[in-house]
Amino acid sequence: MAFIEIENLKYRYPKAERLALDGISLSIEKGSFVGIIGRNGAGKSTLASAIIGLVPQFYKGAYGGKVSVAGMDAATVPVGELSRKVGLIFQNPFNQLSGAKDNVYEETCFGMQNFGIEPDEMRRRADETLKMLGIYDFRDRNPFDLSGGQMQRVAIASILVLHPEVIILDEPTSQLDPAGSDEVFKAVERLTEEGITVIMIEQKIDKIAEYSDRMILLDDGKLIADGTPDEVLSREGLDAYGIIPPASVRISKALGYKDGQGFYPATADKAVKLLSGKIQFKQHIEDDKTTQSSERISVQNLSFHYHEGLDILHDFSLSLDGRTTAIIGQNGAGKTTLAKLLKGLLKPSEGKILLDGNDISSSTAASLAGSIGYVFQNPDDQIFKPKVIDEVMFGPLNIGMNDEEAKESAMEALSMVNLASASERNPYDLDLHERKLVALASVIAMDPDVIILDEPTIAQDDSGKQLIQKIIRGLRDNDKLVISILHDMDLVAASFERVIAMASGTIIADGTPREVFSNEDVLRKAGLELPHITMLAKKLSSGSVVLSDEEFLGLVGS
Amino acid sequence: MKSISLYRDNGTWLCRVHPFTKLMYIASAILVPLLIGSLWAYAVFIALDVIILLSGKSLKRARGLVIFSLTIILTIFIIRGLFDEDNITPLFSIGPAVFYVEGLMKALHTGCVIINMLLSFSILVLTSKPEDIADEMERHGFSPRFSYVISSVFSIIPQMMSTMSTITDAQKSRGMETEGSLSKRMKAFIPLITPVVTSSLINTRERAIALEVRGFSSAKKRTFLNPWKKHRGDAAMTIIMLITVIATAIWRLATWLL
Repeated sequence: MAFIEIENLKYRYPKAERLALDGISLSIEKGSFVGIIGRNGAGKSTLASAIIGLVPQFYKGAYGGKVSVAGMDAATVPVGELSRKVGLIFQNPFNQLSGAKDNVYEETCFGMQNFGIEPDEMRRRADETLKMLGIYDFRDRNPFDLSGGQMQRVAIASILVLHPEVIILDEPTSQLDPAGSDEVFKAVERLTEEGITVIMIEQKIDKIAEYSDRMILLDDGKLIADGTPDEVLSREGLDAYGIIPPASVRISKALGYKDGQGFYPATADKAVKLLSGKIQFKQHIEDDKTTQSSERISVQNLSFHYHEGLDILHDFSLSLDGRTTAIIGQNGAGKTTLAKLLKGLLKPSEGKILLDGNDISSSTAASLAGSIGYVFQNPDDQIFKPKVIDEVMFGPLNIGMNDEEAKESAMEALSMVNLASASERNPYDLDLHERKLVALASVIAMDPDVIILDEPTIAQDDSGKQLIQKIIRGLRDNDKLVISILHDMDLVAASFERVIAMASGTIIADGTPREVFSNEDVLRKAGLELPHITMLAKKLSSGSVVLSDEEFLGLVGS
Repeated sequence: MKSISLYRDNGTWLCRVHPFTKLMYIASAILVPLLIGSLWAYAVFIALDVIILLSGKSLKRARGLVIFSLTIILTIFIIRGLFDEDNITPLFSIGPAVFYVEGLMKALHTGCVIINMLLSFSILVLTSKPEDIADEMERHGFSPRFSYVISSVFSIIPQMMSTMSTITDAQKSRGMETEGSLSKRMKAFIPLITPVVTSSLINTRERAIALEVRGFSSAKKRTFLNPWKKHRGDAAMTIIMLITVIATAIWRLATWLL
C-alpha cells in the first residue's frame, strides 16, 4: 500500500451545494515531489486539507470515500496525531506564526513542545533545520519583523522539526516577492533531497513544472490528469481548466517539436535541449516607438521619511504621462511609499506633487478619491457591506454621486470584472480572488483619472490574470493612467508600456519593458527575474529581448 | 512589529526572580497594609516597592505609570477634601472652596492604596516576560490554552493595530472622511470596524489550523525549551511573604476577637 491512499473521495462543505471533491482516487508514494495545479476553486486546497484530516474533522460537511496516510484513517485519527506524519504550510506566512513566541528559535520549537520532545533533541532539530533553510542567523529576531520569504521559511522550519514524512505546501509563495518566492522554492528543493515527500499546490505553472516529478490537474473537484509535468502540460484544451501551459510548452507546440515520448517540454531547460540547433532567430526586434503623451502627474523634488534623518525617498522627481506604468523592485525599495504619497495617504516632508498642473501634496486621500484611486492588496481590509453592489457603491456615494449614478457606475465596474451576476451576494461568500475583484471594482466605480494597483495578480489563477490584463487595457483605452506596483514580470511584459525599477528609494531604470529587461545589472539590483518567455528566448540565444509568444514566433519564422 | 509588552530585560537580578515570587509579593503588598489598616503600613510597602524597583533599575519606567494615575488621585483629593460626608474640621480654603481634614485623610489613604498597587504590579509587569509567566503557569498545571492566550495577546494586539491603519487608508482612498466633525467620525465607525472584525476572524481561523497542525491539542505531556533557572532565594522569599500575610491575618483576627 502506498504511503497516501485516496479512494473515491467525495466531499461537500457545510451549506454548499456543489461537491468540492468529486470522486478523487490516487496514491502517492514516499519520496516524490507532486505538484497540484488547477484554477481557483478546483478543489486543490480541499484535497490538501483532506490528507491532513482537517476535512472533515475541522470543516465538517458531507464526506465519503477513504483517505489513509501511513495506514491511519484521515477522517477519524485526530489532526494532532496525523500532523506527526504530515505537515501543512499555507499561503499567509503571518497567520502561521503562533503569535506566542517572540523569537524565531522558540517559534520553531513550539510544535515540538506540544509533542513532548526533550529539550536537547529540540535544540538539535531546531539548529539543524534553521541552518538548512538559511535562517539560523535570524534565530533571535522577532518572527513578525521578518520579510514574507523569511517568515514563510520559519513556518516551514516549524513544521520540519516535527520530522513529518510528507509536507504539503498550499501556494506557499503566492504572497511573496520573486526573491522571497525563490528562497522558498530553493528550501523546498532541499526537502526532496532529504527524502521528504512534497506535495505542492501552485499557480505559478512555469515554476512548479520545473520542480515536480509528478503533476496532478484538478478541476471542479475532479481529477483531470495525473502524470509527469511534460505529459500533463502537453494535453490539449488546458485552457478549459484555466491553465496556461509554460512558455516552453507553448513555443514547442507552436513550432511543432515534441520530445522522444511525444510530449512538449515543460521546463525551459528541456526546451533548450530540444530546440537548440533546430531554430534560428532571424533578426533583431526594432526598438519600441514610445508614444509619450502629455504629462499627468509631476513629482518634484519629493522627500519623505518615517523617522527623522532616515529619508525613504530623497529629492525624488518623476513625470508620469498616460502610459501604463509598472513600478518594480524588491520589498523595501520605496514603491509602496511612493504610491501612498501619490495618493495623499502620506504627506511629503519636502517637494510637490502636481496632478494635471494642480498641487495635490497637501490634499487628503479622501478628497483625492475622485481623481486618484488606490486598490489595496488585501480586499479584506476594506470590505464591510453585506452586499457586493453596496460595497462597490460606497466610494461613488462618498464622492458625491447620487444613488442612481452610483448604482449605474457600480454595475458597470462589476461587469468589467465579470462579477455583475454576483452583485446581490455577500462578498464573504465569494472566494478571495473574487473579493479582490470586488475591491478593484469598488475603485473603478469612482471613475478616477489615475488608478494605482498594488499587486493585482496575487491570488489570481491564469484566467484571473488574463482578466486583469483585459481590465488594464480597458482602463488605458478610457484614457486612465494605470500605475501598478508589481512583482509579476509576465504581467509587466504583457500589459505595461513603461517600467520604473526602484532600489533603495531611487529609480535605477526607467523605460519600456524591453529596455529595462535588457539591462541585467538593473534586474539583479532590483532582485527581479525575467518574464518566462523572455527567459526562454534568452536561453536559446535570441539576441533580442522577446516579450510575447507572437514576438518569439515572429522571430524564428515558421 | 513592536510587542506591547512592557517587559525589558535589563540584566538585573529582578528579571531573574521567579514570576510567582513577584506574584506573591503583589499579594502581600496588597493584603498586609489592608489588614493592618494604617497609613504607615502603606508607607512601608511603597518604600519597599521603590527600593525593589530601584535596585532592579526599573524605577524610571514605573514612573510613567504613577504619573498616569496622579490625575485620578488628584481628583479623589479634591472631591473627598471638599465633599466627604465625614468632613468636620476645615484645614484650608481656596476662595470659596473649603478643604477638610477628614476627607483629605481618606483621600491620602486611597491614594496610597492605588500607588502601592501600581508599583507592586509594575515589579512583575516591567521585569517578567509574559511568555515566561505563561510557561510557568502551564508548568504548574494551568491549561495550555490559558497560557497561549496570555502570551499571544502581546503580539496579536499590535498586529490588529497595524491592520486598523491599513483599513483606515483603504477607506480614505474610497473618499471616506475620517477626520472632522463628530458626525463624520461616527459615520466612519462601521466601515472601519467591520473589516477589523472580519479579517481577525479569518486570521484566527487560519491560526487555529496552524496551531492544530503543530499538535497544539495533542494529549502528550508538553516539554519546555527553556527550563526555568531558579533564582537564589525564590522559595525562601515566597515562604517568608506567605508567613507574613498569615501572621498579619491572625493578628488582625485576634484584635477583633479579643
